[in-house]
This record gives sequence, C-alpha cells and structure tokens, in this order.
Amino acid sequence: MLPFLRHLVRRLFSILLTLFITTALLYATVMLTPAETRAELYMPKNFSPRMTEAQYQAMLERNIERYHLNDPFPVQYFFWITNLVQGSWGYSPTLQEDVLTAVARRTPATVEVILFSILAYLPLGLISGVIAGSKQHKFSDHSFRVSAFIATSLPPFILAILMMAFFYINLHWFAPERISSAHSLFIKSDDFRQVTGLLTIDGLLNGRPDITLDALRHLAMPVITLAVAQWATLGRITRASMVEELHLDYVTAARARGVPESRVVWTHMFRNVISPAFASSMVSAASLMTGIFVIEIIFNYPGVSYIALRSMNNIPDAPAALGFAIFSIILVLLLMSILDLIQYGLDPRIREKV
Amino acid sequence: MRSAQRFFSRWQNWVGLFLVLIFVVAAVAAPLLSPPDPKHPGPMKIIGRATLRMPQPPSKAAPLGTLSNQASVYHALVWGSRSALLFGLSVTLISAIIGTIIGMVSAYFGGFVNSFFMRLTDALLSFPIIAAIVLVQQLISIALYNGGIRIYTQGAILQLPSGEVIFDPNNFPGMMNFLLDLDPVLIALLLLSWMPYARMMNTMVLRIKKTEYVEAARAVGARHFRIIFKHLLPNAISPIFVLAARDIAGMVILQATFVFIGFGKGAPWATVLVYGRDWIYSQGGIFTYWWVFLPVTLALIAFGIGWNLIGDGLNDTLNPRFH
Repeated sequence: MLPFLRHLVRRLFSILLTLFITTALLYATVMLTPAETRAELYMPKNFSPRMTEAQYQAMLERNIERYHLNDPFPVQYFFWITNLVQGSWGYSPTLQEDVLTAVARRTPATVEVILFSILAYLPLGLISGVIAGSKQHKFSDHSFRVSAFIATSLPPFILAILMMAFFYINLHWFAPERISSAHSLFIKSDDFRQVTGLLTIDGLLNGRPDITLDALRHLAMPVITLAVAQWATLGRITRASMVEELHLDYVTAARARGVPESRVVWTHMFRNVISPAFASSMVSAASLMTGIFVIEIIFNYPGVSYIALRSMNNIPDAPAALGFAIFSIILVLLLMSILDLIQYGLDPRIREKV
Repeated sequence: MRSAQRFFSRWQNWVGLFLVLIFVVAAVAAPLLSPPDPKHPGPMKIIGRATLRMPQPPSKAAPLGTLSNQASVYHALVWGSRSALLFGLSVTLISAIIGTIIGMVSAYFGGFVNSFFMRLTDALLSFPIIAAIVLVQQLISIALYNGGIRIYTQGAILQLPSGEVIFDPNNFPGMMNFLLDLDPVLIALLLLSWMPYARMMNTMVLRIKKTEYVEAARAVGARHFRIIFKHLLPNAISPIFVLAARDIAGMVILQATFVFIGFGKGAPWATVLVYGRDWIYSQGGIFTYWWVFLPVTLALIAFGIGWNLIGDGLNDTLNPRFH
C-alpha cells in the first residue's frame, strides 16, 4: 500500500507542476492583449449581454482596478489562477454563457468517446501486438503487420469521411451526432434521470436499453475512427518490444523449464512489454486529445470541441479560448493518469522502483 | 558509406524514396505539368463555366474532373504537392532546429538549466495542438478587432475611430493585412512540435557528454560553442533525422485535417476535400463523384507512406541496436 501512495503523491505533484507551467504560459500569451481584453476574463456568471456600452466600459474599468490588471505578471497571474480555482472561468460572448458551465455541460459527451475508444483500442492493441510478436514471421504476424500498416497510413479524417459516406449515407448503420432526434426530447425532459451524463449508462439506469443502443449507434463511428489509428500504433510498439524480448535469457530459461508457451507469453513476457507501449501512449495523449476533438467536429458530435469550433469565428472571445485550453490540458493529464494507473496495476516493476 | 549501402539494400526504402520523388517532381515541375491561369494564379484553376455548379467528370481540359466550383482537381493535386512539401519541410526543419538546440544546450549545461527546460518540454507535451490553434486564432482576432477590423463572411472591412469605413484590403495598414493572412495552424505547429526533438536530443547528449573524447576536448580548453557544435551535435543528431522524416508526413496530414474542419488555410489537397464533401456525403456519391476525393486521398496516403518508409529505413540504418 505504501509504494502505491508514494507513486500517487509523486504523480499528483507532477500533474500540479504541469498545470502550473501551462497556465503560466497561457496567461503569458494573454498578457500580449490590452488590459481591457484581460478584464473580460473576469465577467461574472450572471453577466447580462443587454448592458449599455457605458455600463460595460465601467465594468471593465472596475475589473482592471479590482484584479490589478496593470500590475506585473506574477500579481495578475495570481489573481487569475485563484479565480479559476474558485470556478469563475469568465463569460463567453460567443457562447452567451459562463465558460465553466458550457464546458461542464459538454464534458460527459467527450468523456464517453474517450472511454469507449480506450476500452476498444487498449486491449486490442496489446493483445494483437503480443500475439503477432510471439508468432514472428507466421501468418498472424504478417496479417497484423499489413493491417497495422494500412491503419497507420490512413489519416483518421479520411477514414472519418469514408465512414460517413459508407456507413451513414449509404448503409444507414451508424449515425453522426449523439442521439436520434426521436430520443433527444425525452433525454432533455425531467423523466430522464441524468446520473452519470453518459447516455449509454444512463439509458440502462433509466430502464431504457433502446436509448443505450441508439447512443452506441451514434458513438460507433467516432470510436472506430479513433480506435483504428491508436490500435495500430499501440500494436506495433507492443509487437516490436515483444520481438526484442523473445531472445532474452529469462524466456529461454522458462521454456527450458517446460513452462507452457502460452504461460511464457502471457505471464512472463506480457508484463515486460507493457511499459514501452504505455510510455508511448502517455507521450501521445495530447495528440489523442486533439484527434478526439477533430473527430467530434467531423461527426458533428456535441462534445467540448464545440467551444473550439465557435472560438474560430473571428469574434474576440478570450475566456472561451482559455477555458478550452485549460480544460483540454486537464483532460490530457487525466488521460495520462488513467494510463499510468493501469500500467501500475499491470507492470510489477514500477512498484519496486520506488 | 556502409550505412548508405544498408539503406539502399532494403526494397521498402526504395519504395519510400520513389513515392517521395513523385511529389518532389510534381512540386518542382508544377508549372510544366499544369500551367496556371495567368489571371488567377493559385491551386484552384477554374475550367469552363462556373454556372454548372456540379462536379464534372474527367475531360481533356481537366484530366481528373472538376469540383463544384469548376476548379480542376488535377491542377490542385499538382500544386498541392508543392505546398504540402513546402509546409512539411519548413515546419519540420524549424521545429527540429528549435528542439535540437534546446535539448542539446540544456543537456550540456545540465543541473538546474536542464531540469528547468525539460520540465517545460514535458509540460508542453501535454498541450493539445487544437487548443493552441484556437488560442493563436483568438489572439489574432483580438488584435484585429482592436485595430478596427471587422470580419464578415464576404470579407473584412476597417472601421476607423473617426467612423470612416475602408472596404479595400489594399488600403489597410500593413500590419492588419499581415495578421489577416496569418495561418493559426502553422504557428501552433511551430510552437508545439519541437518537444520530441528536444527530449530525444537531451537523452543523447546526456549520454555522450560523459564519454572520454568530450572530457578530453574540455580538458584542452575548447569553448562551449565548439564542444557543442563540433563534438556533441554530429554524434547525437542521427535519431533526429528519423523523427524528422516521419514528422514531415505527420505535419502535412495534420494541416490537411485542420483545413478540412475549417481551422486553417492553404493545403489545396484538403481544400479539394472541403469542396467535395457535399458530393461525397450523398447517396451513392462516393462512387458517382469518385474524382472529388479519390485523387487527393491517395496523394495524402502516398505522401504519408513515402515519408514513413524513409523514416523506418533511416531508423534501421542509423539505430545502433540493430547493427
């Protein structure tokens, strides 16, 4: 138990440090804008867009005064970060609502995509990589390498376009967006209890398996698109480390002792090849996040990416852009921590390293 | 020399070189392969009447058909390889140089400097590119708005504090036109793709720094600059080439992705897909209007495969583990 706690504390410290560095850099870029723009970061939650110009200017002046927006960077950063931690992320003029509320409302949709893609690609990538590596130069290895090569060569957005054309337009198997219009009204009504916010799970909890099935039908295309590329990368790395492992002494020794081949592969070698695979997954967590947002936009899926989409409209909206950046960094760090915890559970060496 | 022999002994590397060479030839010979329209130069060459409003199948004037705005797909394909190569090479080169210098210098000086820069590198690794694009676009928007530029779907106008309005972009201040032309995707990629190079270089230099010949160079009183560029750089640079070869493809595909969802500009290949999207997304359209997506899709895939094969080949050749 103690090494786990130590590991957790170390992990938490590194997350906080990363958050500190990135938020400081974010605020440093915002410092490039005039003080009036920075004052817009502090607009209250109940901000009324129907204010007169004079009232609005007076409010900006008050914010500049109150949050020391003409002072040096550390002072301003301190006021901004305390405000963020207290949950006031500012009012976004393009979304016409408080940024944190807007982000929080769309989070479950994004989390659902992340969750299902991880559930799809992580086991598949590890298992197919291990099988291909242990059967080097045999049929299953060749077929894995060919399909992984195709999967990595196909840019995800092209795959997304093809999926839309085949499985939605022509075959009507899957659908874009998050839920059919037949269900969307019921989901917004009071009769539908929002427990987790994830439609697939809430559908079951409400005793409506049809909603779960419908949500899965809408999730299929984004999840498959994401999982295909991730599966191929993960599988290739796992296969490569498996091949390197094949000729090591402990494998030969285990085989010589008469340990069954499946046990050699799945208990002895599997735990050793996990670390490189997870390390690469953690390094590419940020690009996975970018991929998720892009796929959401292509499939018109109403997740957090909507805020990014609206912020690209040439209308000045610093609070939404900053909120989106901070939130996506938090998601990346969460993703890394989840992968780290899974790795901790699977690879015994990390526990002893402390 | 032996590594060159190794490189050319694998057929995959020949395939990679061949694919990349196709794009290099297309990029260099673009004016010969598809002469631009003298009145409207650029990757979109309008063929025939724009009132047709339907993608036209391949014909003599447009060997790969046209888009709904009657722009030739072949022309965009040829000129797109020029801009793809230019974009991939320049972004990769700049980020590789930034990353190499940061990783190398911080490893050479070590101690506090090293831990500071590597912490920064690690922190930036958890920064998604899409968030950086949004942020850069917002900074540009804010600067433009404060400068009096208002952007509408038909174009931009400049509103002076006196109330006067300027419609002609040629009369805008130079700074405003510069900001209007900036590509947020390019800037975000430049800011956020140097970290893998820095990390790679850092581990390499930390290892080499302790070897005897570097110690010897220091003992005879060589300057920092000389040790770094004469001794450390040549011995640590090879993994950088592997990363860079793969990155060229990655950058181009990333740019195409962002142009497709409307976040960037340039990238003729992705622009063809944007124009073709409505025709692909129609019943049976993927077979009827195959020319609006198939040529550019194949080009993107071939571009990616080519550079990745070269990257794999370089990895096998330069990576000491396999020797």
